[in-house]
Amino acid sequence: MPGFSEPLVRGRQPAWMLSLRWRLLAATLLALTLALVLAGVFLSGLFRDHVVRQFAGSLTAQLDQVTARLDFDPAGQPLLDPQTLSDPRWTRPYSGLYWQVDAMGDSPRRAVMRSRSLWDSELAVDDDALADGAVHRHEIRGPDGARLLVVERTVRQDTLAAARWRVVVAADLRATEAAVDRFNGVLFASLAVLFVLMCAAALLQVRLGLAPLGTLKQALANVREGRTQRLEGRFPREVQALIDDFNTVLDRNGEVVARARMQAGNLAHAIKTPLAAMAQEAARTQVQAVEPAGLAALVREQVDVARRQVDWHLARSRAAAAQGMPGALVALGPVVEGLLRVMERVHAARRLGIAWGPPTQDVRFAGELQDLQEMLGNLLDNACKWARGMVRVSVASVGDGPVRQVLLVVEDDGPGIEPDHRAAVVARGARLDESVPGSGLGLTIVQELAGLYGGQLTLGTSPLGGLRAELRLPGS
Amino acid sequence: MRVLLVEDEPTLRAQLRAGLQEAGYVVEESGNGRDAQHLGETEPLDAVVLDLGLPLVDGLTVLKRWRAAGRTMPVLILTARDSWHEKVAGIDAGADDYLAKPFHMEELLARLRALIRRAQGLASPLLQCGALSLDTRTGRVALNGQPVSLTSHEFKLLEYLMHRPGSVVSRTELTEHIYAQDSDRDSNTIEVFIGRLRRKLPAATIETVRGMGYRLVAVA
Repeated sequence: MPGFSEPLVRGRQPAWMLSLRWRLLAATLLALTLALVLAGVFLSGLFRDHVVRQFAGSLTAQLDQVTARLDFDPAGQPLLDPQTLSDPRWTRPYSGLYWQVDAMGDSPRRAVMRSRSLWDSELAVDDDALADGAVHRHEIRGPDGARLLVVERTVRQDTLAAARWRVVVAADLRATEAAVDRFNGVLFASLAVLFVLMCAAALLQVRLGLAPLGTLKQALANVREGRTQRLEGRFPREVQALIDDFNTVLDRNGEVVARARMQAGNLAHAIKTPLAAMAQEAARTQVQAVEPAGLAALVREQVDVARRQVDWHLARSRAAAAQGMPGALVALGPVVEGLLRVMERVHAARRLGIAWGPPTQDVRFAGELQDLQEMLGNLLDNACKWARGMVRVSVASVGDGPVRQVLLVVEDDGPGIEPDHRAAVVARGARLDESVPGSGLGLTIVQELAGLYGGQLTLGTSPLGGLRAELRLPGS
Repeated sequence: MRVLLVEDEPTLRAQLRAGLQEAGYVVEESGNGRDAQHLGETEPLDAVVLDLGLPLVDGLTVLKRWRAAGRTMPVLILTARDSWHEKVAGIDAGADDYLAKPFHMEELLARLRALIRRAQGLASPLLQCGALSLDTRTGRVALNGQPVSLTSHEFKLLEYLMHRPGSVVSRTELTEHIYAQDSDRDSNTIEVFIGRLRRKLPAATIETVRGMGYRLVAVA
């Protein structure tokens, strides 16, 4: 049964909620059932009503006939000559058609006169508000327990007479009810057939509607099993947007994997060179019994080279993996403050004054936290290493209209960088001064990462006297 | 000075221990986070060298727990991951400095010295007490500019006292921070070396505070 084996994590939802097919079918079935039941009830009631009304109409005609034949003797008692009533049913006992006259008023008496068909039973009709001349309708039980339709009217001999008489005519409802039953039977059967047909139509509709999902499943299986790299096929508009997004993710993943592979290859290559140099020298030392001090120096040097290569390639792979996920926004204030805490610790001995004014509004970077930390960290570390006593940091949100950027500025009062040398410094690994420790790749990494986000690193001279590093990045 | 070394890679740990001992430190060591945490909480220490990638309990967690327990000794973290993200996390967890692998032993020792000195509130690598000076970078002791020759034990004693000028240091504290666990720690040993030091330094430089310990006093 669908949904039965779903993990508990999703909570115990009913099976039908977890399947599109079941949801659609359940909704349709419910609506169909409700509609058809209502239709059936309504139609059945309408028919019965109509049939009974017809019947009552003809019965009222009978009542009129009886009333017309009613006469009064000199004493004011009602008289009716049975010969004047033509219908043979009046005279046949328990025929199903009856008449009766009741005495109304202060001392009511039932069945003062009655038809032969009534034999010895009476029609027990309830008293109700007596309006002269108006025909009232009742349904009662008559002889044999049969259900009868009754029409009655109250009459007086003339307007002056005090005595009132009620003329009652009743007929068996059996035939009518049989007709209604027949109708109901046909109605029920028809509605049932209609229900079945509509259910079949609904099933077909759901199947047709959900067919693209089956195609999608197949396309996904193809991707998963490596037969294709993307989801292939045309899909209905509603799903196509989702498919396109998914394909974009797949493409990007593919790119990232390819790049990572390349990076790993490059790194392996870069490391093997210093390793080879060390192995070579070690062999030479062993074989030729050359002074090991030379070996030690070489190892130190090659370890430095290897470390730089690792740093370089790691930084490049970090930059390459920067995906710039849509929607990710990083608040700048806390990031700067976190990095300044590191700077304070690490450069504590230099006793630098770091001027940092937290931004007044909410300045955010549209990208990954680690990338921002990498860029800012390198700029700040650079500034702290070279500053004589003062570093200044500021962030702001710039730009007009919908395209907004964040502007980060890091300044120091150190020696700065000559305009001619700026390009060289940012280019791979070049260093101007080997006296200050570091791998010399900081600014290069900043520029690469900024580039990946569509931003820019600009170097200039600060009013403080040293370098002014300006970083523009997408933000808000 | 007493240092806790926490590194899970055995070869590197052995090399670091050797390097630290050569530089005059008494080294406690551990190869996993759980033992390290315990040692950091209970042992008297001047500094810690902490690798982050540890088995049982990771380095950052150990550090956070030490700080939460009120342990204030300076901690230098070793990490193979050189990203700023990790550095911020380390400093915020309570580290005082970080060093990325691979590193040179000299750099580790220099940073460690600086951390220990700064932990005592001493800004300059050149410690002064009256006419007496000790350069932590070179290990040279001078009196009025004239070099003073000391044995390694005498130097360790003086170094410890010069990091806490004017404070009373008990014999127990001196013993714990200067002698390794398994060496012969006789309370007399300290007295003997204090005596020897006194002979090489101006009178009254090292004051005995009865029942409490010793104190370094500035003498012109």
